[in-house]
Formats: sequence, structure tokens, C-alpha cells
Amino acid sequence: MTSSIAPVAHGAGPALSQQFLTFSLASELFAIPIDHIREIIEFGGLTEIPLMPVFLRGVINLRGAVVPVVDLAARFGRAATVVGRRTCVVILEVEQDEHVLPLGVLVDAVNEVITVEADQIEPTPEFGARLRAEFILGMLRLSERFVIALDIQKVLSVEEMTQLAATEALSPEDAAVLAVTDQGF
Amino acid sequence: MDMDMARDALVQESRELLSAMEAALLQIEDSGADSEAINAIFRAAHTIKGSAGLFAFNRIVSFTHIVESVLDRVRNGVLPIDNAMLSLLLNCGDYIAQLVDAIAARLEEVEPDPVRRAELEAQLNQLLDEQDTAPTHSAPAAAAVTHTAQEPTVSEDPVASPYWHLSLRFSADVLRMGLDPLSFLQYLGNVGTLLNLQTLPEGLPPLAQLDPEQAYIGFELDLQSEQDRAAIDGVFDFIRDDASILILPPHASMREYRALLAARNDPQMLAALLAQGTLTADEAARALLPEQETVEAVSVVAPVAAIEPAMKLPANAPRGDEKKGGYEQKFIKIEVSKLDQLIDLVGELVIAGAGASLIANRRKDSQFEEAVQSIAELVEHIRDAALNLRMVPIGEVFQRFPRVVRDISHELGKEIDLVVTGADTELDKSMVERLSDPLMHIVRNAMDHGIEATDARLAAGKPLAGTLRLNAYHESGSIVIEVSDDGRGLNKARILAKAIERGLVSAEQVLSEREVFRLIFEAGFSTAEQVTNLSGRGVGMDVVKKNIESLRGEVEIVSTEGAGTTVRIRLPLTLAIIDGFQVMVNESVFVIPLDLVIECIDLAGLDGHHDIVKLRGEPLPFIRLRELFELPALEHGRESLVVVQFGQQRAGLVVDRLLGEFQAVIKPLGELFSRIKSISGSTILGDGRVALILDVANLVHQAVQQQATTQNGKAATGLVSPQKSNG
Repeated sequence: MTSSIAPVAHGAGPALSQQFLTFSLASELFAIPIDHIREIIEFGGLTEIPLMPVFLRGVINLRGAVVPVVDLAARFGRAATVVGRRTCVVILEVEQDEHVLPLGVLVDAVNEVITVEADQIEPTPEFGARLRAEFILGMLRLSERFVIALDIQKVLSVEEMTQLAATEALSPEDAAVLAVTDQGF
Repeated sequence: MDMDMARDALVQESRELLSAMEAALLQIEDSGADSEAINAIFRAAHTIKGSAGLFAFNRIVSFTHIVESVLDRVRNGVLPIDNAMLSLLLNCGDYIAQLVDAIAARLEEVEPDPVRRAELEAQLNQLLDEQDTAPTHSAPAAAAVTHTAQEPTVSEDPVASPYWHLSLRFSADVLRMGLDPLSFLQYLGNVGTLLNLQTLPEGLPPLAQLDPEQAYIGFELDLQSEQDRAAIDGVFDFIRDDASILILPPHASMREYRALLAARNDPQMLAALLAQGTLTADEAARALLPEQETVEAVSVVAPVAAIEPAMKLPANAPRGDEKKGGYEQKFIKIEVSKLDQLIDLVGELVIAGAGASLIANRRKDSQFEEAVQSIAELVEHIRDAALNLRMVPIGEVFQRFPRVVRDISHELGKEIDLVVTGADTELDKSMVERLSDPLMHIVRNAMDHGIEATDARLAAGKPLAGTLRLNAYHESGSIVIEVSDDGRGLNKARILAKAIERGLVSAEQVLSEREVFRLIFEAGFSTAEQVTNLSGRGVGMDVVKKNIESLRGEVEIVSTEGAGTTVRIRLPLTLAIIDGFQVMVNESVFVIPLDLVIECIDLAGLDGHHDIVKLRGEPLPFIRLRELFELPALEHGRESLVVVQFGQQRAGLVVDRLLGEFQAVIKPLGELFSRIKSISGSTILGDGRVALILDVANLVHQAVQQQATTQNGKAATGLVSPQKSNG
């Protein structure tokens, strides 16, 4: 999968600036390239889907379209987000099999849109991020601290999340059957 | 219309024509040659060639041209239409279909199968050569006459105009055939300069009756050109059969113009038009006067008339009132995406309407409520009408099968008759497309494994020819499609043995007949001892089941050993909007398709234990949705039982509250939630919240399975998990 700040990985390339949205999960700051963001809406309740893993919080009605909402904190294996006054749903566009799928992520608060120069982006550290390395697109060096920029395609991989949802929805035996059939493909 | 759309239209049109051609060929095979069918085949080939020519898809044009030449001779009775010819033409149709597929895949530059093409062309050319050596009875094609028609170079009483004059009238259907008159006019620019173009809107009906897919307008134009008649005439090669085209040379004689006026509907008006450029006022007036030397006139008119093909009638048909309303005029082609857009909008309207009625209820304003009510009724009508637009007869799927059955029965060396009934039963267009493959599988299976070889049939005292039936009908909000054969039927013992061997069930398990037959749909199950070309590779029936379930349907098998098998597919009529019944479990709203709800009962009065209640003496398995979905219990719930039915089976669903009916616009939950059973989709409620739609088929199945395991009790312990289905 291609990341949108590919030149950064080589550390060189033209000094292009890129815009990111920063937001907080618990008290930690994260960033997403804004090209993936369709809109940001205030959290106004959602419909839970039974028997789904915690990170699949449910679905919302976005002007007539039913959009799944992922709890990012839970997706990172942390405690599920507690809905508060500033809780938002960031609607992202995720590519999947040539389709663009709208997907919401639940965050504690959105902060600001920042412009980051290419030389302010550091490659993914090998350890110490408390996050699966593949979820990290790079580290944004801001004046006072580092912010993790997320690789949204990886974090919201429909394929992986569907697998996780499936194992949750089925009994262990069924899941075993599933694993067997899936090998056949 | 951009090129891609035009190309798609061409592909679709060609496919339709090919299937019409195939149907006509099979009809001839079945009930003998008839000129109507032969003409239909010829027209199909001709139109495909014409449309492809407009796009310069030369591979199709050149191939279809040879086919058309053969067809022309068949039509004229020069070549006989025998079985060999039918097979050849069917194969040619297949090859044209391949060429069309190539266009659809944007691969028109690549010959899909050069070897096959060469083979077919050789066979076709052989037929043409044979016929050429034989004495020719057929009149040369009309076009040939045109080209060889001698030029009336020196005419008596010439008009002053130094230009060619063209008078064009198109058959009303040309647009539908993919021929746009405008493109011919534009192409005329290649042979000369267009001057003085007059449109004749006389054929135009009032706006309300106007069919935008019909060509109404005729043209009179002058052309400045150094080319000869053949070159100008050649421009109209593709549309000649569907238009009346009169071409008058520069300085044509007065007689020719008189002939032109006589050939058209309204000579007065036409003369007036001609007087605006082509002719001088004096010439126009004279053209209207009757010809003095009548006898001579006829002979001069003749070559001009020869240009006009025999298709004059359709060109004029829409103008004559009584000729209106041909079969084609009842239909109008619409892009599917436009329909989908409409359905989406109707969906939004339904949701918005539900919102309004919610507010009306809260306000307790009776006038408001009444108004909302009448709007809701209208919306319901609109919804039904909109959904109806997408309904197509299942015949669209069935029509493929006569050919399939013919070919496969030849291949298998079996004699099989196909009986199709209920082809006009309607269902949603989107389902038709997805039904085709599963049906194909089932039909192949029935022919391959179901119907016995001829000697086995004779031994069993059955008629030599096996019968395969395709049937469709509506039943309580579903469409039922049946594929039945009068073959050997399913062997229960063998299926069971195989299933045990494959580890699908254990030897001790007691299964009903229905359950045994269901095993066929398990992945990797195949009882055929001999793997054939057609089926028996162990893929198939499980895929069929998956496909049908993805359409929210179910498939079951009924079979009597020795007498035959019926595969029955039950599908909802539409995938877009349903009448739903809202229920509440804890704080969550769920929607049950109303068609499947039989009744609602207060659970308190019933004696329910072990997940089975006695309802009017009959045991009814039930499921507590709260437990199934692991929702927290309510403090003091008065529970209700919703009795649902799917197919022949009933089950109860225990809920906390009944909220009533509502129109649910189905919104798919998408890939992420694709593996949850029990929930088939979602919908948006009047207040904007999302509610989940229950998958009744799956729930009933689970409940029945539970009941079975409970009843079989200790006998079947541990083999099937009592809470979960393995379906």
C-alpha cells in the first residue's frame, strides 16, 4: 500500500509541505494527513452492532448513508473511548478494492490543522511508540514534541478489521472452520 | 453522449440483439423455419454490423458482414436452413458475442480467437461459394441497384440548382438501433459541403407524447460535392434499410423533383421548403403541378425510386395515426444508474416522511397528522411505482437456458426437453443479474447428475427424453424459482455416507431428510463418482448457496429417489426497500421484514421453557434476541413473542416491545459487518437513528436447529453446538 508521504521515507526529495489534522486520544496527540478526511462531525450517538469487537463501535447515519465508526483507542488495544463533551467523529475515506469507503473514527477531541514541512517528518522509530509500527506513517517533529502521524490505510484496513469482526461474531468452532475455508482461497 | 456511454450502449444493444438472434435460431430448430424468425436473425446481424461500423469496430463489421451475406441468402431461400446451418449460425452468434465482450473490455483491437474465427469464416465462405457456382435466383441486394443505377447526367428540363439534393426520412426506430441520423449528416461533410439544411418537424407529436428515443425529424439538404452518386449514397450504407433516402443530382430534372414531392407526405409544405433554397420559387411551383407526359415520367422516376428501399413504411409509420403503438414503442430504455438514483431519492423521501410523521404524532395535531398521513400514502405509492420500474421478468434469466440445455444435452448425449413456465414473474433487476450464475450451476447439475443416461431411463421405464423444468412464481412477498428434473433423484444413503466420509456429520447423528439434502450445499461435497466436464468438481452447490444467501434468499432441495429432484430458490422481491416491523430489545430498535411476520403474542401467557413454547398445541422454537445479542436485561420487561416464518418453517423471536410497521429503506452494512449472522442490513429510522434489520432466514434456521438438538437430546450430545447453527 502506498503512503502519501512516501518521499519522506528516503529522507530526501523536494521539500514539500503537507497538512495534517491533529487530534487527541486519551491525552496523547496523533495526526492524520488531511487528504483522507472528508469531514468532522460532533458525536451524536450511534447504533451499536451486537457481537462486534470493542473497536467497532457501531454505525451512524451520515445524511442517509450508514457509516461504520471505529474507536481508534480500542483499535490500538487501549481502553475504549469514553464519550465526552468534545468527542468527535472524523469521517475518513479509506480505499478498499478500488472503492472509496467512508469510515468514521471516534476521537476524544480534534485540535487543529497544521502544516508540516517535509524535513519535519521523521521516519518511524523502531521501538517505543506503544503502537504497531505499521500503523505509523512517520513522526512529526513539532516545536515542543513529536506527534505520531497515522497510516490510515493500515489502521483502518477493512480486510483486517473484517477478519477480527468475524472471529468475534462466531463461536470458536465456527472460527476454526472459517480459518480452514479461508486457507483454501 | 460521450464515447464511453455510446460504447456501452453498443455493447448492451448488441448483446440484446444476439440473444434475440439466438432465440430465433432455437425457435427455428424447434418449430421449423419461418420467415419472421429468419428476418429477425438477419435484422439482428445487420444492426450489429451497422452500429459497430459507426465506431469503426472493424473486427465485428467484417465478421458480421459474412454472416449477413449468408443470412441474406437464407432469407431469399437460396440457402437452406438446416441443422448444420443452425449450428453454424449459433456458433457465429457466439463468436460475435466474444467480439462484443472484447469491445466491452476495451480490447477491440485484439481478435479474441483467431483460429475459431478462421474456422467459422471458412465454413461461411464455403456456403457462399457453393451458392455462387449454382445458378443465382436471388435478386441482387437493393444497394447494388443503387450503385449501378445509371446517372441521369443529361436531364430534360433541368433545375437551376448546381447542388446535389438529399431528402432524408428516418425510420422511427433508428435511434434505438444505435444509429444517430446526426452522425450521418456530419459524415456527409466528408464527401462535400452541406448547404441549406432544412429540418422537417412535421412528424413531431405534441410534447407530452414525444418519445425521446424516436426519430421524428426529416431533413432536406443541398450538398455541394464533386463526388459521384455512389460516394454520396455510400454514406448511408448503414442506415439504408431503416430510412428513406432520395438523392437528386445537380441540375436534376423537374420530373425528379416531382417524384420527390410525390414520395413525401406533404408535397405543399415540402415545395415551400425547397423554394427557400434548393429551387427557385418558380421551379417549386412548377414541381407541384402535375406532370404532363405521365408515361415518360414513370420511367424517369423509376431509378430514383429504386434508391428508396422497401422500408418506406416504417419511416412513415409514426405519422399515420393507426400505425402507432408498435411493440417497441411501449418501452423506453433508461440507464440503470438513473433508476438507482431515483430509488435512492425515494428512499430519502421515505425516511424524511417517517421523520415528519414522528413529529406529527408528538404534536398531537390531528390536521397535521392527517396531512402527513396522506403524504405517507402517496409516498408509499411512489415507492412501489419506483421499485416497479426496476422489476423485470425473470424470463431475462430463463432465456439463456434453451441454448444451454441444447448444447449440454448434445455434449452429454442425453435427450432433454426444457419446459419453462412463469417466465413473466417479475423481480428486481439487480437480482436478475446475480441469479444467472447460481441457476446455471443448478441446471448443469440437474442435467449432468439428475437426469439419467438414455439406457438407464429406459430401464427405469421412463420416457426416453428427460424433462427439465424451470418455473417461477410469487409467494407471500417472495419469488420462488424452481429447477426440477425427472431424473434419478437424490440418494439419501449415499449422501449421508459421503458426508460421514468427509467428516461433515458423525455416523451416530440422526438427520431428517431435509437436513441430509442440505448437506449437498456444504463446501467440498460432491457425490459424483465420475468428474465430468460440467460439474462434479465439488465446487458448485456451496457457491450456489452462498450466492443465494447474499441475495437474502434461501435454497432447498426436495427429491424423491427415482422420480426426480427439485431445487427451490426463494428470494425477496427487492433489495432496496421493504415493509418493516419495528421491535425493541432493551434500548435497541430492530426491524423485521413485515412479510415474514405471522403474528405477535404476549409471552407472559405462554408456557415457555427450553426455548420452545406451545402455541395452540404446536411446539414453536424461539430465540431471545436479548440473549442472542448479549444485551443487558431490562428491569421489569413484559416480553412479546413475534412469530416469523421463512419458507416452511416458523419460529418465535422474543423482544421487549413492539413498535409497529414502517417502510425500511435497506442500507447495506458493508464489508466490515459482512460476517455477522442474524443481521442482514440496516435502515434509518424517522428520527435519524440507524436500526438493524434482522436476518429472519438465519434466525429461524438457528431456532429450528436448537429445537432439533433439544429434542434429540442426549442422542446427539456434543456433535452440534446447541446455540449456534453451522449453516
